[in-house]
Amino acid sequence: MNTVTIEARKDGRTKPGVIRRVLSLLAGLPPSVLFGGAIVLFWLVTALTVQFWPLHDPLALAGRRLQPPSADHWLGTDALGRDVLSRTLHGAIYSMPIATIVVLAGVVIGAALGAIAGYVGGKVDAAIMRLVDITVAFPPILLAMTITATLGPGIVNAAIAMIIVWWPIYARLMRAQVLEVKEREHVEAAIAGGAGHIRILGIHILPLCWAPILINATMDFGQVVLLAASLSFVGLGATPPTPEWGSMIYDGASRFYSWWIAFGPGMAILTLVLGFSFLGDGLRDYFDPKSQ
Amino acid sequence: MTRRSEMRGPHRRPMAMIAALATATTLAAWSGAPAFAQDQAPSLIVARDMDLNSLDPARAFCDTCQIYLSATYDRLVDIGADNTSLVPMLATDWTISADHTEVTFKLNPAARFADGSPVEAKDVKWSLERLKNIKGGFSYIMDGVISVEAPDAATVVVKLDKPNSDFVGSLSAPYAGILDSDLVAQHGGNANADAASTDTAEEWLLANSAGAGPYVLSAYSPNNELRLKRNDNYWGDKPAVGEFVFRQTKDAVAQSQLLESGNGDIAMNVDPTTAGSITNPEITVSTVPSFNMVYLVLSPGAKNLPHSLDAKIRAAIAKAVDYDTLIDFTLEGQGKRLGSPLPNGFPGSGQVEPTAFDLEGAKALMAEAGAADGFTLDAVYPNVNQYGVDYSLMMQKVQQDLAAINVQLNLQPVEFSVWRERINGDGIPLTAVFFAPDYYGSAQYVQYFGMMDGTVWYKRAGGANDPTLANPQTPELLAKALASEGEESAKYYSELASIMAAENIILPIVSPDAVFVARKGISGLRYSACCNLVLSDITVD
Repeated sequence: MNTVTIEARKDGRTKPGVIRRVLSLLAGLPPSVLFGGAIVLFWLVTALTVQFWPLHDPLALAGRRLQPPSADHWLGTDALGRDVLSRTLHGAIYSMPIATIVVLAGVVIGAALGAIAGYVGGKVDAAIMRLVDITVAFPPILLAMTITATLGPGIVNAAIAMIIVWWPIYARLMRAQVLEVKEREHVEAAIAGGAGHIRILGIHILPLCWAPILINATMDFGQVVLLAASLSFVGLGATPPTPEWGSMIYDGASRFYSWWIAFGPGMAILTLVLGFSFLGDGLRDYFDPKSQ
Repeated sequence: MTRRSEMRGPHRRPMAMIAALATATTLAAWSGAPAFAQDQAPSLIVARDMDLNSLDPARAFCDTCQIYLSATYDRLVDIGADNTSLVPMLATDWTISADHTEVTFKLNPAARFADGSPVEAKDVKWSLERLKNIKGGFSYIMDGVISVEAPDAATVVVKLDKPNSDFVGSLSAPYAGILDSDLVAQHGGNANADAASTDTAEEWLLANSAGAGPYVLSAYSPNNELRLKRNDNYWGDKPAVGEFVFRQTKDAVAQSQLLESGNGDIAMNVDPTTAGSITNPEITVSTVPSFNMVYLVLSPGAKNLPHSLDAKIRAAIAKAVDYDTLIDFTLEGQGKRLGSPLPNGFPGSGQVEPTAFDLEGAKALMAEAGAADGFTLDAVYPNVNQYGVDYSLMMQKVQQDLAAINVQLNLQPVEFSVWRERINGDGIPLTAVFFAPDYYGSAQYVQYFGMMDGTVWYKRAGGANDPTLANPQTPELLAKALASEGEESAKYYSELASIMAAENIILPIVSPDAVFVARKGISGLRYSACCNLVLSDITVD
């Protein structure tokens, strides 16, 4: 793959060349990556540009209340007469950044602690890993609910809670990778060559440890979206009138006979979680030498 | 519910006790006791979101408590079907001294507790003293009682420290139910001055009732089920229904589905929107006016206010709420506007016109107050669905309305316990909550909402930080109202209603209609000012 990229850069001045090479690169990817990627891309673009789309104001009265889907309101209106389609699409503005921030922070914190634990070993390792054990001993939703309830409801507090819940997964993953890679010969050679710890860890070990973390992180995006929605559903995440998917589903749940209120956000969560799952699955297949 | 659970004292029941009791009652249920094999009387399942905090009359304080207690404990007096007149219950008649400081009750010699023992004056004295000394949610009503005497087995004399024409009426509240003093005393009950800490009967009362009412408690499993069995020794008219099973069912949809699937008979917390979606011809929906109130509160004395909530701004906010649309949105229009906190039909109500929605007037007032550019207020409210009103929905509508006068609301739905902590702590600039009366009488409203020393909302609205909130006329008028009766008293309550309305601190939004969803053939469902739902009135064809 590296070769392909480098070649593309070398002679990719002409447009047809670039397009052809991108297409051949895409063709080489598993279909699940393409499918998942397309969904994720759709929601990403939505999150970035939805303010400029010709939609109803997601917070304002857009028509008669509790109207089923129609030509004017493709996904109907909610109990305050707001357009459900507009609210669903605007929901991406909250879900996508939350997922990104939580996964990024989880990866950074978890990977750093995991790498230190794996590389240093001994008491430091034991201390970090016990902390991990304690954190994962609680069901994630329960721990996140407890933390958010303590900090008070709100998207920011929900994100903090989710980061606290999420980092241990990456710490474990990274530690296992580091433990394996640090026994390799090139690392021993580097040690023999007198390289410092930071250099060994940063240049000789970590670059070989990222693939599983990245794959895991991709799949986790969906899970974070789901957890954020769950927190909002129980009233601990987004506060009204924010069009967050979880809280929209909560609104829908109490108006059971107006099924369309929960349908939009439900589909949004479904597609996004599936998209990330497909993407993560496909990437794992793609990077796993055994499956190729 | 709110106000009751809010007003509860520091008393807390140990969790272990609840758990043990839950286990015990569940086991008892499993052991297969034949609950209604004894007769052919029908058994009804009631779907309800139960807010029970206790089954002890002196400690309980909630809407479900009203139903339970009024069914199991008869009081001295009751409220008639017209919801206004007092009718005899355990007392056949009563005489009130001219200055409204002494009441003499004559007890009905036929009255019997469920175990067959007679209801005597000593039981009344003991029960009322216990209510006062346990200092539970409703004990405020006993604050003015100097003494309860039992000169003979059929006479009770209550002396008050100052005139209180509402006193006899307040004894129709289910919390003033009369207990079998010997029986409860055997199980740890006492009525001494230190009863708040020495009375230990609450646990026993969670598994047994000790009253003279038409029903007796047969089993209680917290957050699951409450079973009431007909009292076969009842001294009055025998009720038609043999057993009531209250099943904990959280939301309106689950309740209506329970009925639609044939697994329930009556649902009590169905909102008008959900009720309107029921198509099953075997289910009837009836809507009756209630005395319940959903209201907003502005707290001028709350800490860290971004802008003063002076009289003009409060008036502007009151005018900026589009009440009718709000009632349409939350209750499909099934509710009544209120001019003041006094419920429609209570003494002194109906004289004040409800605040009209007037956006231009509101903007003008904001400009006069120098706040045309507006400000942002924290609006913390309990995340509940009460009397059919979804509070999140209501507050989002209020948020939209107030945005039109540049008052932005930062909505913060919280658990009820958190809300209570916030409102009793630093205060909340703008909040929303609810209230139901305990008996037919207007004094309780002034004592709860009036801006004068000692009331719950004077303290919460920040009376300590801002004593100018207090209105010196309020205590004077209340004293006059309590020292008189009938139309004269109503005139003072009417003045008090005008004062409360003009203060714009308590902003009544709506008195939601009570919605009863029931299987066809069930009748006698009515909303009572004291007792919520009166079980002994219910019949089945």
